[in-house]
Amino acid sequence: MTTSRREFLVQSGLLATTAAVASTFGFQAAQAADNDTITIALASRAPVGLNPQQTGLNGGDNWAINQLFDTLVKPPEGRWAVKPDEFLPSVAESWESSADAKTWTYKIRKGVKFHKNYGEVTADDVVFTFQRQLDPKQVTANKVFYSNIATCEAVDPMTVRFTLKSADPLFNGSCASTLSVSIMSKKAFEEKGDGYNTDPIGTGPFQLQSFSPTEGLLLTAFPEHFDGPAATPNLRITFIADTTARTLAFASGQVDMIEGVRAPGWINSMKQRSADTIFDATAPGSHNTLNINLTRKPLDNLKVRQAIRYGIDNAAIAAAFQGIASPMVGVIASQFAGSVKVEDLPPELQYKPDPAKAKALLAEAGFPDGVTIPCYVSQREDYASIMLMIQEQLRASGINLDLKIIDHTTFHSDNRQDKNGLALYSSSFPPVPTLTLASQLAASAEVKADGKGQGNYSHYGVAIPGIDDLLTKAQNEPDFDKRIAIIQEAEKKVLTDLPLLGIIALSYVIARNPRVDIGYKVESGPAYWSLAKAKRVA
Amino acid sequence: MPGIISVKLLDAVPTVFLVLTLVFVALRILPGDPALVALGDYATPEQLALFRSQTGLDAPLWQQYFSFLWDMIRLDFGQSLMQHRPVADILAENLPYTIELTICATLIGVVFGIPFGVLAAVKRNRLPDSGMRIFSLIGYAIPDFYLGALLLIAFALNLGWFPINGGGDGFIDRIYHLILPAVTLAMVKIAFLGRLTRTSLLEVLSKDYMRTAKAKGVPRSKIIYKHGLRNALLPVVTGLGLSLLATLSGSVAIELVFNRPGIGETLINAISVRDYPLIQGGVVVFAFFVVLINLIVDIVYTLVDPRIRG
Repeated sequence: MTTSRREFLVQSGLLATTAAVASTFGFQAAQAADNDTITIALASRAPVGLNPQQTGLNGGDNWAINQLFDTLVKPPEGRWAVKPDEFLPSVAESWESSADAKTWTYKIRKGVKFHKNYGEVTADDVVFTFQRQLDPKQVTANKVFYSNIATCEAVDPMTVRFTLKSADPLFNGSCASTLSVSIMSKKAFEEKGDGYNTDPIGTGPFQLQSFSPTEGLLLTAFPEHFDGPAATPNLRITFIADTTARTLAFASGQVDMIEGVRAPGWINSMKQRSADTIFDATAPGSHNTLNINLTRKPLDNLKVRQAIRYGIDNAAIAAAFQGIASPMVGVIASQFAGSVKVEDLPPELQYKPDPAKAKALLAEAGFPDGVTIPCYVSQREDYASIMLMIQEQLRASGINLDLKIIDHTTFHSDNRQDKNGLALYSSSFPPVPTLTLASQLAASAEVKADGKGQGNYSHYGVAIPGIDDLLTKAQNEPDFDKRIAIIQEAEKKVLTDLPLLGIIALSYVIARNPRVDIGYKVESGPAYWSLAKAKRVA
Repeated sequence: MPGIISVKLLDAVPTVFLVLTLVFVALRILPGDPALVALGDYATPEQLALFRSQTGLDAPLWQQYFSFLWDMIRLDFGQSLMQHRPVADILAENLPYTIELTICATLIGVVFGIPFGVLAAVKRNRLPDSGMRIFSLIGYAIPDFYLGALLLIAFALNLGWFPINGGGDGFIDRIYHLILPAVTLAMVKIAFLGRLTRTSLLEVLSKDYMRTAKAKGVPRSKIIYKHGLRNALLPVVTGLGLSLLATLSGSVAIELVFNRPGIGETLINAISVRDYPLIQGGVVVFAFFVVLINLIVDIVYTLVDPRIRG
């Protein structure tokens, strides 16, 4: 039998078309039938690692670590614990603090199992986990969070004691529940070495099934978790950096949840595509503050700083983000203890937006024709959009920002070398009231031109002393309520001197398909949350 | 032939050396601190110093340079500063995706572009020629990332014929994931090769020896395909080599839009976080491909044009 070229081409075309259609239907059926898997896509390019203490982890890694590991204690589901009595047991079943809040003792829950038959958690594992953070010779993530811990020791096989350098009534929030001290298996770590980063052993509700730099992470429910197994057998964590690709993956139903874009307009555009999309958003999310460099002219002049404060309308900036931002009053987000409310402030510290008053203050300061301030900001969508709005608002007050938009890595590097006059800074602080003061305002954190300083870009505490006394007082106060009162006093001092302006708290957002129920409402918290209760409901 | 290959490889040595030096210098001039990226904003000066010491970033620049060159000679790309894995592993994971995309897009480009160009030249100033010219204009004018997004919305999101993103797992799945990205990249290639073939073939067809062949009664198809196209392919081969290099290095936009793994996407990420060893390793791989593709073009040249062999 012979076949002509025309017949061959026609037959080949039909075969190819049939194969394509068959595979298409096969693909869709597989997607629709897979109710045992929930997929979340995060805005990163690839997984970096899953060792909770690894440096350089991205948002997707943090999401996975949060499912794979447990900490000693934990906050309530869907929100931060902002007071000492709000923390819940996790790997530790109970704990107690000394009267001076300098000694904290944790009793470990019996029978907490590590994944893949690595035994049960003992005090040795907890001490091992914390010691890596305390060892100055080891490069680990977020080491500075644990600098107040003097010693960490095993009292007996199921009891661990921490001795602190200064009192900390919120030790559970500042140290015992943070991701970078998620409890690791000492045995597994010593066995696997660097391999622990891609094959981690934790105690969380999910265990790692596969780690692929190109395909993402597949987690499976850990049946022996002390709180019971996860509601869904499989959790897939994928990495899609591009916003369009991520949004299309969500729109097509290929993924159940995606990390949102923190820029004006995104929420509305998503709602237009699908009105029933659920948005899980943390409040406060990130704190966006404006550091005013007190060593630069004319910013060393208080009246100029007051003019800037009167020229910026925080509420208008927050409104542009359409429900995922809230205006800040001081430098601590209003949802956190230690923050101040407008109504509790004297009129001169309320700074209601008033461009006319800003212009008058500039004239009083000797700048009747206005001022020009050179500065730069990161190109990242949240930074750039906030700073461009600030630039536009300040223009009405006669303040011209000579603003350059630069690469994100360069932005942080140059800030560290004291090159910026007005540095917008987005930080994701846990609700530890002393953190903002210690990291952004204390003299010890003053930025240095040689890059050896830290995140106090305003030089507050050095150019204008006084804040360190309040910070030390707060850090030595064991009583939580009294500590909060001192922090509020510090907030008022900052509002008086204006080295750092609170602008907005911007939520971290996940868009969720309504077919997935995560089991609780997200109100606040870090940029990741537990999916142990998440399940398909449609 | 072996002589040509040896000479070309020797020619490549100073080029690769220059590229390596330029990359090393450019990275050190570029603002941004890898230690700060790795450890975050809260890192203390002591931790930053420890990180730099452990990764060799605190060594004098000349020492870093010679150490880098020595490592490259031994093909030791080192460890990624951010991913904490060997650079060779990271490149090996991503490179196949870029190569398959480049080859597939080029094949589609050749298979459609050259015949379209021949058709346009043969039917000059008629409908196929006008169609080809309009298609070329559109192909050049639409940015590939935009075209990619349009194809994604039409064929993946609305019709559901293709996957939205990813590189696929297993042979069939990988081909399935490759179709839309490859077609996107191939559109520009078809436009480019079609136009180049048309122009080149028209020029050859106007030569005296073609008129002679026609006068001698050589069949039209033989004139076009044997005498005309073979001579017209010389500039097309050069253009194809350049186009191949452009696709290899320019596939990053497609990799991002289709969320495909790939070397371009990996390098862009490495640059954004100042992962020096990964950037350096990636550039060496690109330099290798530049040399390789130029070599292949030269070899094809000798096959197509016997005068070069002589």
